[in-house]
Amino acid sequence: MLVSSRATAVSSAAPHRFLTHSVNNFNCISSSLSLPTSFGSSSLINDDRRQKKINTTVGWSNRMDKKKISVVTCATASVAAQPLENADALIDSVETFIFDCDGVIWKGDSLIEGVPETLELLRSKGKRLVFVTNNSTKSRKQYGKKFESLGLSINEEEIFASSFAAAAYLQSIDFPKDKKIDPLLAYLLTAPFYEPVGNMSHVLITCMPRVFLREQERIYVIGEEGILIELELAGFSYLGGPEDGGKKIELKPGYMMEHDKDVGAVVVGFDRYFNYYKVQYGTLCVRENPGCLFLATNRDAVTHLTDAQEWAVVVGKPSTFMMDYLANKFSITKSQICMVGDRLDTDILFGQNGGCKTLLVLSGMFSLHLLATFFLNFLVSVFTMS
Amino acid sequence: MGDQKLTPPCHHLSPTNVRDLFDSLDAFLFDCDGVIWKGDTLIDGVPQTLEMLRSKGKKLVFVTNNSTKSRRQYAQKFQSLGISVTEEEIFSSSFAAAMYLKVNKFPPEKKVYVIGGEGILEELKLAGFTGIGGPEDAKKIVQLKANTLFEHDKSVGAVVVGLDQYINYYKLQYGTLCIRENPGCIFIATNRDATGNMTDLQEWPGAGCMVAAICGSTEKEPIVVGKPSTFLMDFLQKKYNIPTSKMCMVGDRLDTDILFGQNAGCTTLLVLSGVTSQSTLQDPSNQIQPDYYTNQISDILDLMKS
Repeated sequence: MLVSSRATAVSSAAPHRFLTHSVNNFNCISSSLSLPTSFGSSSLINDDRRQKKINTTVGWSNRMDKKKISVVTCATASVAAQPLENADALIDSVETFIFDCDGVIWKGDSLIEGVPETLELLRSKGKRLVFVTNNSTKSRKQYGKKFESLGLSINEEEIFASSFAAAAYLQSIDFPKDKKIDPLLAYLLTAPFYEPVGNMSHVLITCMPRVFLREQERIYVIGEEGILIELELAGFSYLGGPEDGGKKIELKPGYMMEHDKDVGAVVVGFDRYFNYYKVQYGTLCVRENPGCLFLATNRDAVTHLTDAQEWAVVVGKPSTFMMDYLANKFSITKSQICMVGDRLDTDILFGQNGGCKTLLVLSGMFSLHLLATFFLNFLVSVFTMS
Repeated sequence: MGDQKLTPPCHHLSPTNVRDLFDSLDAFLFDCDGVIWKGDTLIDGVPQTLEMLRSKGKKLVFVTNNSTKSRRQYAQKFQSLGISVTEEEIFSSSFAAAMYLKVNKFPPEKKVYVIGGEGILEELKLAGFTGIGGPEDAKKIVQLKANTLFEHDKSVGAVVVGLDQYINYYKLQYGTLCIRENPGCIFIATNRDATGNMTDLQEWPGAGCMVAAICGSTEKEPIVVGKPSTFLMDFLQKKYNIPTSKMCMVGDRLDTDILFGQNAGCTTLLVLSGVTSQSTLQDPSNQIQPDYYTNQISDILDLMKS
């Protein structure tokens, strides 16, 4: 049951920016609720440094001709965010709600108050619910289980974690999945078309269509299980992940770290088990394997280090990759979407870049996010200096 | 377009220019990794070159960004490689970090959390400070559990970050909490080199990574005490009383060694025996041009002979 105070005209012309304490407020906004303006304004973009950080552009590695992901420079907010007073109007004006998870739906493993009722309400009004999280430690299926354990019935198909985004991105650019075929087998398959005359057969094999003899391109993962699961589901071959957490190196004369020359992409996500070994391995792949991609599931704290030449291709928020994917999958227009999140530089920027309405909730815990994403900068500095 | 400063061309060290260069200088400042050694392996011709310079009355100084060792430990390393260098001739970024705190009157009752090697801890101790963390935190593991608070020492007044091959999530969390929650806590970086020749066969991630990680989580910029900051130059000048115009900085990295030399007003010589190749030097996007370049420091000896 919604109690709305003054009717606030909600214009659908420009993406609207709203502010509310939590998702719960959809349910019980009343005229007596007054958002302390000082608190409200401190959440807005009035910090110069944050302002600078929001104006970011991302460049591309040379393999990116085929598919472009746009992270548009965000125009500074000329219209201040409005406290959410007329939730009805907002709800009626959109068809899909995209929710961030950490700090919006849950905090760690605890549900935030009022969330189940709010989601119920939105569903009962026929709204589509989508959950987009930058946390790559779990796969969509594992997130589905987490929602279930918290008493929320959410379909796996409604969840878009950055782990999924990484796999989806690689699929979208046709990253190879072909298995390496044994040359003898390849010869046998094509033998009828050639006359095997001594050494000629060998020459002919080497002239065969490249598809039969192409090397399998593998993916090196610096991250947790979620990424591995999604890559496997998508049919990719990977190495690294949590098991490299136990690997050690010895900086001794004559010691050389070898790396797989077939690695064609390095995917980096949150990794509580990261270490020097992984950094070196990933670095070697990016710097020495020609055309090797460098993908980041997210980079929540935009770093000053990104004035180097090669940038990570970021698939998570605020990159619009997942927004485009969603819009395509569900056949929805951006103006019909409202993005609900607790971070300005990922969630809100994601919504703005995507051209949809945005709603900031103040229930989030900034510290967790910051701690969880610092090390991408750690890696960017090495990968991008040649 | 504004006034675009024309960078003078970088000269290849040759028999024609080496003597003039030599005669005009009183001191040679050498970077270590990629100039003197790679990991624990000496680069060819180094001992003879240093001998020759000393015999001609030139002062030798070693300025290294590698903070894993203290000055004393570096002197030991030189000795083990057959070169006699005293502690006082070495200016490491580990020493720089301790000196920065001293010069800025860091209260000795406050602690310093170290993400880095023994070298930093030793220099801090010598300067009268209490360092915690360092290599022993390598074994510590973080458990991300509900209702569990990661504790940290509230008396930490500075976090020093340098090269750390044992970097892990625990150290990053500890350093981050100190910087964000202890009022007035200083964030110091010994250096920000992206990579270095930690072994003879390949490059390895440098302190730049560890520093970037902390920058990411704290969203703060550090005070950099190593090259290209000229902080160490003050100590050098006090000791030797030589004008910087009579010094030559010899190094393998453009954005640390050469920039340091330029910032301080020294002549600069780039060697190609470390992380920088000729193509990188001559790439149009490179903005830093040393005065001279050559393959390795023994070229000085060879060219002087001819």
